[in-house]
Amino acid sequence: MNAPLAATLLRGSLSGNRWRSLLAVACIALGVALAGAVNTLHASALDEIDRAARLLAGAADYQVKGPRNGFTDEAFAAVAMHPAVAVASPVVELEAPVPGKAEALRVMGIDPFRAARLQPGFIADGAAARGGETPALLDVNAAWLTPVAMARLGVKPGDGFALGGPAGEVVLKVAGALPALDEGGPLAVMDIAAVQYLFGRVGTIHRIDLRLRDDAPREAALRGIAAALPPGVAIVKPDEAAMRTAGLTQAYRVNLTALALMALFTGGFLVFSTLALQAARRRQEFALLRALGLTAGGLRAFLALEGALLGAGGAAAGTALGLAASRAMLERFGYDLGAGFFSGTGNTFAPDAASLAAIGLLGVATAAAAALAVTRPLARLDVAQALKDRHLDLPSPPGGWALPLALAAGALAAAFVPPAGEIPVGGYLSIGLALAAAVMAVGPASRLLLDRVPASDAPLRTLARAQVKSLPGHLSAMVSGIVVSVALTAAMAIMVHSFRVSLDGWLSGVLEADLFARAAPQGDAVVFSPEAQARMAAVPGVDRIDPIRFERLTPEGATGLLTIIARPVDARLLRGFQADPPAPPPRGSGPPAAWVSEASVDLFGWRAGQEIVLPLAGRRAAFRVAGVFRDYSRTWGAVLVDLADYRALTGDPLANDIAIHLARDAEAKTVEAALGRVVAQVPGAELHDASYIHARALAIFDRTFAATYALEAVAILIALAGVTSSFAALAWSRRREFGVLRHLGLTRREVTRLLALEGAAAGIIGAVLGLASGFAVSVVLVHVVNRQSFHWGMAIHMPWLGVAVLLAAVIALCALGASLAGRAAVAREAVEAVKDDA
Amino acid sequence: MLQARGLAKRWPGGVPLFEAVDLDLAPGELVAILGESGAGKSTLLNIVAGLDRAEAGTVTVSGTTITSLGEDELARWRRRRVGFVFQAFHLLPYLSVEENVALPLLLNGVAAVERRGRAAAALAAVGMAAHAQRKPASLSGGEMQRVAVARAVVHRPALVLADEPTGNLDEANAAATMQALRDAVKREGAAGLLVTHSAVAAAAADRVLRLAGRRLGPA
Ligand SMILES: Nc1ncnc2c1ncn2[C@@H]1O[C@H](COP(=O)(O)OP(=O)(O)O)[C@@H](O)[C@H]1O
Ligand SMILES: [Mg+2]
Repeated sequence: MNAPLAATLLRGSLSGNRWRSLLAVACIALGVALAGAVNTLHASALDEIDRAARLLAGAADYQVKGPRNGFTDEAFAAVAMHPAVAVASPVVELEAPVPGKAEALRVMGIDPFRAARLQPGFIADGAAARGGETPALLDVNAAWLTPVAMARLGVKPGDGFALGGPAGEVVLKVAGALPALDEGGPLAVMDIAAVQYLFGRVGTIHRIDLRLRDDAPREAALRGIAAALPPGVAIVKPDEAAMRTAGLTQAYRVNLTALALMALFTGGFLVFSTLALQAARRRQEFALLRALGLTAGGLRAFLALEGALLGAGGAAAGTALGLAASRAMLERFGYDLGAGFFSGTGNTFAPDAASLAAIGLLGVATAAAAALAVTRPLARLDVAQALKDRHLDLPSPPGGWALPLALAAGALAAAFVPPAGEIPVGGYLSIGLALAAAVMAVGPASRLLLDRVPASDAPLRTLARAQVKSLPGHLSAMVSGIVVSVALTAAMAIMVHSFRVSLDGWLSGVLEADLFARAAPQGDAVVFSPEAQARMAAVPGVDRIDPIRFERLTPEGATGLLTIIARPVDARLLRGFQADPPAPPPRGSGPPAAWVSEASVDLFGWRAGQEIVLPLAGRRAAFRVAGVFRDYSRTWGAVLVDLADYRALTGDPLANDIAIHLARDAEAKTVEAALGRVVAQVPGAELHDASYIHARALAIFDRTFAATYALEAVAILIALAGVTSSFAALAWSRRREFGVLRHLGLTRREVTRLLALEGAAAGIIGAVLGLASGFAVSVVLVHVVNRQSFHWGMAIHMPWLGVAVLLAAVIALCALGASLAGRAAVAREAVEAVKDDA
Repeated sequence: MLQARGLAKRWPGGVPLFEAVDLDLAPGELVAILGESGAGKSTLLNIVAGLDRAEAGTVTVSGTTITSLGEDELARWRRRRVGFVFQAFHLLPYLSVEENVALPLLLNGVAAVERRGRAAAALAAVGMAAHAQRKPASLSGGEMQRVAVARAVVHRPALVLADEPTGNLDEANAAATMQALRDAVKREGAAGLLVTHSAVAAAAADRVLRLAGRRLGPA
């Protein structure tokens, strides 16, 4: 195979079915685009977090970190006095809501003299210049802003601005700019004591940045410092910040990537059927080339090149599309399409060239592999026969049940393979095998199904039945295409529907109160104080309030984050959270009860009856696991504990959210209005009724899965376009047969109807096999892939109406596509068709 | 130039098609094999072309015993040493007439300028120079077959094989095609082997043999 020859033969490919090639390219492009967009969104988010973390950590080589709500600043003294520590810089960090805007500003409280030794950028231009004057540092309201923060707030040095705090708005003054920290994003830096005082965090810090002495023995120093830290506080490397965030979003990323891979797989299949049909159509051409001396290997190389070129076109288009889409999504919805994983407000666009190249290459490889699969039957091509006879077809697929059954058994076995890390490799393997089994079952299944159709004397039916049953290569490639696209579409539809119905039911249970108040929809600086809670409880018409407090920490003896949900727990709440068992245990003398989420079971291996230790408020607190509950709002672990137990252990009286139950006879609107006035006293806090939160959660769900809806639509469109073009090719190759039939007395209309019958039969076989394998794939998606990557248990819910419409549409459109193709094929004169030679 | 010795063929499960077939062709000689439909003419031709395998016997072309070559070696041998004319023409519809003729040169890696020159010369020799830039679909059957003859000799093969080249043509076009084939074989000094059931076509050959009753003998 030399280059000019390849170029000449490619003209033949292009003069063939352009639309079909375009569809194959589009499908590869779609898979590459989706995978590329997910990857780019994630890479951008991590890049921003990582860059900010590195910049702010400066020369620090370690960081002491604790629970999200902070830890006692007594730990600072212990760390700072350790002989191996060169510099220890305490940090208070929170995100404060910007009044009137749906965003939060990151506020860092530092000890400037210590912080500047690690990151000189903390010392502002202005402060340095003023030198001898009254240092504005001592002004409690002074804040230094990065230029990007000033731009966002619309302020300049000397201006005042307000942020939400737990006791009302905090008014600050812009003391200067921190241009050196601009890469760190929008940021306000203040004196640590001022932040503690103004934001109600006295005695609490969130982090200590550390630089160890170069001459100190590292291992011993780390052990010594760790020993001085309270439970729940640990010493880590600065770059672990981005890693931890990456862990939180992994499940989300894995799932979308899986969908992208499915699109790629469909694309690969389309390349396969495109090239298979091309090869069938060009069978005589290929036979001629073989006769003229092209080797079988040369022909194979040409077809692989053709596939790779289709793949390269798709990969290039897909990469461009993915970059454009991720950029647009980044601007509109943030790094995670609004799913709430990243609180960052930046908009770094940082595509990762290496991953994008890998994804693109995967697209090319998929297409080339599909092309190579086509050359297998071509290798069996009998050159002399192909040159002589004019029955243009690929060899029929194997007819036995052994291979599909073996593949199905493999799919079943693979479903039980444990995940590697958090990636459900067994699940993916199982899906691949299930699809392969369905494709391999096309031959035997069509024979089985058609044996059920009674033979008849109606000539058209007899002819159609014989044609479909003999399942020529054309028809089987086409039916396989229908099987794969129906399977993927049905699987995704069933999976997303099951997910949505499960989430919907769960939300109804979880949102059992009438109203919910949230202190800090943006950031975490604002909480409901005991006074605010009391004011809400005192509103006339309020029956009771359930304060909810969140904490995030790493459980003892584990890595990875865990959310603590503390709220009054009763049987009704447990039923709402679908807990098992659904009732609290009787209060005994042992440790208090805790309910662990399904993710905690998967990630920490916790079981009912087990005792777990959580480092709460710097103390080791033991809990007894009373049961498992369902938590669709996190993919990481969560523990539900009773608020009374939590408060007794921590002495923390604050609340992040409040669930409000109205009195039976209360006038809902009036009470809501009164509560709204109380909540409004807390800056940034929101009050919503349960149905609003319910609807908003479903809207976010729909947005997250919008990509899959689009994918489903495209898969079906592609399958149907594929059917029509397959039938066109099929009808073209059979025009001589049709000519004969018309000589024998069939009308054009009857020939068209013959093809419509064949199309419907092919559609039925494809739809039935596709639905069966799609159901199997959805079971794997729900019970294996989602369980292992999201850690959420859910039940299968069939979208019956959608599935019925899908099947009816596929069958009807197959018949329509076939008859349209037939009409074109019989448009020529019968005589001409019979003696046609090309 | 071509020597076949003791060729025998039987399809799996069938009766023998032919046995002990010997065949000798000299350079520049055009030999026709006549026979009823189903006699095995095409099968014999395919064995000589290395597209089919004999059960017994050898075929040697210009000193190369092709019956002992592997699949890929056969393909490369055909590429350099064999030209074909088919009943159904087999011109590629997306290439121009000239490009179709140049196809064997393309397969042999001949440079573009030389390809054009040699294809044009071969077309001129069959009287088709004026149609070089047309697409095959716009030609008549006779014109297509003359283009195919040009393609069969453009790379100066040792062997030119033709299977029912006049099967799809009327008498006048059949005669023109046979003339072109004969001229081409003589001009290139190739050995030409023609199989046909048409005595008229066979009449253009230097020598006529008959395949009947499993034997190849004089007509
Ligand atoms: N691939 C094959 N397998 C089995 N039988 C074949 C095959 N090709 C040809 N035949 C049989 O061999 C016989 C001779 O065929 P062929 O060489 O094409 O005859 P001719 O060209 O003389 O008409 C026929 O009876 C035909 O049915
Ligand atoms: Mg024949």
